[in-house]
Amino acid sequence: MTDLIPISALGSREPAKLQHGVLTIAENPDLGLASLALRRGDCAPDLGVKLPGPGGWVSGEGIGAFWIGPDQWMIEGQGRASADFLHQVSRLAPGCSVTEQTDAFVDFEITSQEGGAPVRALMEKLVNIDTAAFGPGRATRTRLEHMSVFIIRRAEDRLAVMGMRSLAGSLWHALQTAARRLNHE
Amino acid sequence: MLIPHPLLGLRDAQEFTYLGDAALLDRPDGLAADAEASFADYVYLRNNPAGVHRELWFHEHGDRSWLIVKRNTVTHEILGAELARDVALASRGEAQ
Amino acid sequence: MTRLAGGLIDRSQTLDFTFDGKSFKGHPGDTLASALLANGMRLVGRSFKYHRPRGVFAAGSEEPNAMVELRTGAWREPNTRATMVELFDGLEASSQNRLGSLRHDLLAVNDLFAPFFAAGFYYKTFMWPKAFWERLYEPMIRRAAGLGSLSMQPDPDTYDKGFLHCDLLVIGGGAAGLAAALTAARAGASVILADEDFRLGGRLNGESHSLDDMPATGWINSLEAEFASLPNLRIMRRTTVFGAFDHGIYGAVERVSDHLAAPGAGVRQTLWRITARRTVLAAGATERHVPFANNDRPGIMLAGAMRTFANRFASCPADRVAIFTNNDDGHRTALDLSAKGIEIAGVIDTRDGAKVFGSYPLFAGAAVTNARGRLGLKAIDVTVDGRTQTLRCGALGVSGGWNPNVHLASHHRGRPCWDNGLQAFLPGEDLPAGMIVAGAAKGEGTTHSALNSGASAALQALADLGLSASRPRLPQAEDAPTNLKPFWHVAGKGRAWVDFQNDVTVKDIKLAHLENMRPVEHLKRWTTLGMATDQGKTANVTALAVMAELTGKSIAETGTTIFRPPYTGVSLGVLGGGDTGKNFRPSRLTPTHQWASANGAVFTEAGQWMRAQYFPRVGETTWRETVDREVLATRSGVGICDVTTLGKVDVQGTDAAEFLDRIYANKMASLIPGRVRYGLMLREDGFAYDDGTCARLGEDHYVVTTTTAQAGPVYRHMEFARQCLWPELDVQLISTTDAWAQLAVAGPNSRRLLERIVDEFDLSNPAFPFMACAETTVCNGLRARIFRISFSGELAYELAVPARYGNALMERLIEIGADLGATPYGTEALGVMRIEKGHAAGNEINGQTTAQMLGLARMVAKGKDAIGAVMSRREGLAGDSRVLVGLQPVDPAEPVVPGSHLFSPGAAQTTANDLGWVTSACHSPNLRSSIGLGFLAGGGERMGEEIIAANPLQNQSVRLRVVSQHFVDPEGGRLRD
Repeated sequence: MTDLIPISALGSREPAKLQHGVLTIAENPDLGLASLALRRGDCAPDLGVKLPGPGGWVSGEGIGAFWIGPDQWMIEGQGRASADFLHQVSRLAPGCSVTEQTDAFVDFEITSQEGGAPVRALMEKLVNIDTAAFGPGRATRTRLEHMSVFIIRRAEDRLAVMGMRSLAGSLWHALQTAARRLNHE
Repeated sequence: MLIPHPLLGLRDAQEFTYLGDAALLDRPDGLAADAEASFADYVYLRNNPAGVHRELWFHEHGDRSWLIVKRNTVTHEILGAELARDVALASRGEAQ
Repeated sequence: MTRLAGGLIDRSQTLDFTFDGKSFKGHPGDTLASALLANGMRLVGRSFKYHRPRGVFAAGSEEPNAMVELRTGAWREPNTRATMVELFDGLEASSQNRLGSLRHDLLAVNDLFAPFFAAGFYYKTFMWPKAFWERLYEPMIRRAAGLGSLSMQPDPDTYDKGFLHCDLLVIGGGAAGLAAALTAARAGASVILADEDFRLGGRLNGESHSLDDMPATGWINSLEAEFASLPNLRIMRRTTVFGAFDHGIYGAVERVSDHLAAPGAGVRQTLWRITARRTVLAAGATERHVPFANNDRPGIMLAGAMRTFANRFASCPADRVAIFTNNDDGHRTALDLSAKGIEIAGVIDTRDGAKVFGSYPLFAGAAVTNARGRLGLKAIDVTVDGRTQTLRCGALGVSGGWNPNVHLASHHRGRPCWDNGLQAFLPGEDLPAGMIVAGAAKGEGTTHSALNSGASAALQALADLGLSASRPRLPQAEDAPTNLKPFWHVAGKGRAWVDFQNDVTVKDIKLAHLENMRPVEHLKRWTTLGMATDQGKTANVTALAVMAELTGKSIAETGTTIFRPPYTGVSLGVLGGGDTGKNFRPSRLTPTHQWASANGAVFTEAGQWMRAQYFPRVGETTWRETVDREVLATRSGVGICDVTTLGKVDVQGTDAAEFLDRIYANKMASLIPGRVRYGLMLREDGFAYDDGTCARLGEDHYVVTTTTAQAGPVYRHMEFARQCLWPELDVQLISTTDAWAQLAVAGPNSRRLLERIVDEFDLSNPAFPFMACAETTVCNGLRARIFRISFSGELAYELAVPARYGNALMERLIEIGADLGATPYGTEALGVMRIEKGHAAGNEINGQTTAQMLGLARMVAKGKDAIGAVMSRREGLAGDSRVLVGLQPVDPAEPVVPGSHLFSPGAAQTTANDLGWVTSACHSPNLRSSIGLGFLAGGGERMGEEIIAANPLQNQSVRLRVVSQHFVDPEGGRLRD
């Protein structure tokens, strides 16, 4: 175990968390990420969850996956950021092209205490995605304040926004500003 | 504008980066005897029609697919879009 | 004038406001215009060119005259239409475009010189002498012209933006829009209803007639109750849909808090981008006026507006009014005003045999031929059969018919078509895709037909979308024809205004005709008709009817100009979308940003990245001193620099080697696992594109780096090659730039430093030679990649660890390397060292240079088909004699200035004699002089020669010596150490 002490994407020891009205935005530094691409002509491996089709996200026991491009997915391992998630995924998916992505992204988990409406209202201020067609189980990459982000509707009242780690501060600012305004602060 | 992504449905054009004429798919053989002449055409000669045009768009803030979008440059009407990869494979007679 | 009875104002509350410093009172539900009228204020502004006294002319967004400066200080907003300002307590407004007071505007002298300011005045007058334009004419015109003035302070308000999607967007909340929204929302479609007003109802709010035996407001209230129960319907009040863009995308501005006294911390306005599958345009119609002499007197307004002020706002500009009309609708105003206790001086109807509808004097077959009262209407001249009489009145309502609001229908260049029956331009066939027009906007102007056409439009839109719906029961409503008889202007000698805001008169149109500026586009530009902030909403059709009359053509033949967004003015603040200052665009921070900040780094922007530029220490007085120290410390001990910003692309697949061989000009397939190679990418046209390193981590696994600036474009280019050019290859790409914190550790002590942190990894030269790479662990088990590569020319490594550990790693290296002289360095020192070493960077690979020029022609491998290889060998490029050289001043005290062009000593400094240019320069602490790199024609043969670097911009001419580009360690012994 290394004695170097990691910092969060926002530059502190503790992950950031804040609440505006019924919305909570929390940095989730524990999410292990690895991208998985099929070799040409190969079939999807069995990771314990069925890899979803375009625009989809699935989650199973400790593992999740969302589609990021043709024959390409991002695999999520909750709580596995400090484990060697790359090799865990590689073992499950022999013959696939697997790439370490844990620290490539910052994951902000947004939850609402009052169902889906506040989540949809927040999305309307941030991304040009039709919220009506973006229910639980949908995931996509899109543009948010000139940044590329992945958004995942984990549940009616839960949305994940993942941005490039180096842009964490700008993304946090964007999410925080939108949530604050929705709460008329 | 909205681009009808073959896998993801209608997506705002702001998610895309534009390249130009889809004729760029037809790259000449660089080892052929007349390579220089055919590359001169490939690199510099483009159609710029007022009307239906096949164009390359990259889904930069999306799934990173290159698309071939058929667009009327006069009306901006979009007549369809395909994955460039599928088109390129089809032109080689390969199964997609 | 005092308040009338009734109206949709809340008398239980009183609002205090000021206009030009004077206090007034109004009520919630008022606009600034209605409150001013209720307080007897007819004069509210001055005109653009002649500074004529002007009053409120309309009751809506088409208002050309009543423009004010709203609020004060930094919040001051000029050119605000008083008719659109919702009254709030404490509102402060002032009149604009005046010198002195509103009543005694000194620039009113312009009106006396009116003969000089006719159409085309600017084009004719200020042409000569040419030199006078910038020095005299333009400043003079800028001072005299224009409307309100800016606060010249930063906008203190907050703006927001957002994105909405719907099945059906209904633009306009009048009779047609309400019926459309009701029909679609009941059918379960997702519907957005947007209206610029703060109250739904459109013209229904300004009329007195009933819907099913109840007042229109009763019906609207019952609808609002139902609307509130429909979650699929979103009502957007105070929202102007200002533009129709491609594929059903609409721009809209919601005035979130403009109606509140203090916007406070809240959002002032929100810019919405609405993506609608179908749209019903129910934007209503705008009344047109009939120009006659001095028709711009304060107190003269549109008859329909007068009716709205009376019915909705319980206000009227005077207690004795007259109406001038060519249709029955004008009579309706007389009836409604009369019912409110206003005395009707007379209805002047241009139609022979016009009927009277109530007890008021009627002048049939008559015209208003003049208006008196400079600061407020006192009387009008009425002429019947050549006989003129004067009619005393304080206000005049003018009705010349209604123009459908076709603006958004023509935002995609659709041409409105003239309808002879309706005497109006209607939306043409070539509407924006997905748009259906309804109600008065397409000539269905009676309440009955508007309601029904709105419902029909919604049914059609839903049927297009495959949704079933049924027609709701709509209330019985008036359906009377207006019996309009065209009458476009009153002929006569006095000036008759057509476009109030830009001061265009009938005479100006006649002049344009005389000067052959007859096509409508020419008419518009010659007279400036319709080019003011109101875009001529009350003027355009009247103007071209006058032109048609002059040319003897029909209006249909004369045609009309079309419209562009925005429908009404949109503030730049809201188009900016909200964030300003450092949040205007996103910025990327490196993994060691915290450490660098804490250690006093000065940062520089590199694209989106904020990079440490240098790390000043106490006592250092100039940045050069700091940079020199960082360079010398690196070359004598060890320096550490965060190079995370370089793009990193993970390349895998059984054909990865083949793929990279085609992407790079040089051979990559022959690279063995565990080794790194410098790679040069060309564009297909043969010019150099980007460079970086390519590390082979495994048999079918590579990681390639790009320059910081080109990381995005190169990735896109690689995906293009993979998907479009060679889809048959088995290769997968993904960016990993942010995943790894990458630190350059450079200098003679770099190996000793790294040996202190690696976990059982042999860094010795034989085990890990120059251009080796490996995956290993450091600091007790932390995953890491080590590359033995050097940009500085020293023995050097790049070390990558998961990004979250980058900060701690930097701290650790500096801490444990103290005895080795470990020093952080920034981009300045990085730049100095690469110039000293003669490495090309962005200044040299700028899109205009070739491998040949960079001295890398031999890298372009023959016998393989790599991108750009063929074109790089064409005559023009391969034969370019300009090559990269080093440059050093003959007098060491002189600078090398980048951008300077190179000439032979004694040669005239002309383009023909240009031998090249200086690309990069810096002060080299090792050579103790300025040094540079540059491209020089025949450079290879000029070693040791003198050359002149000319910088004519600053009158600089420096003698340089042509030397090797490798100023430091030309044999490369250090990096292989």
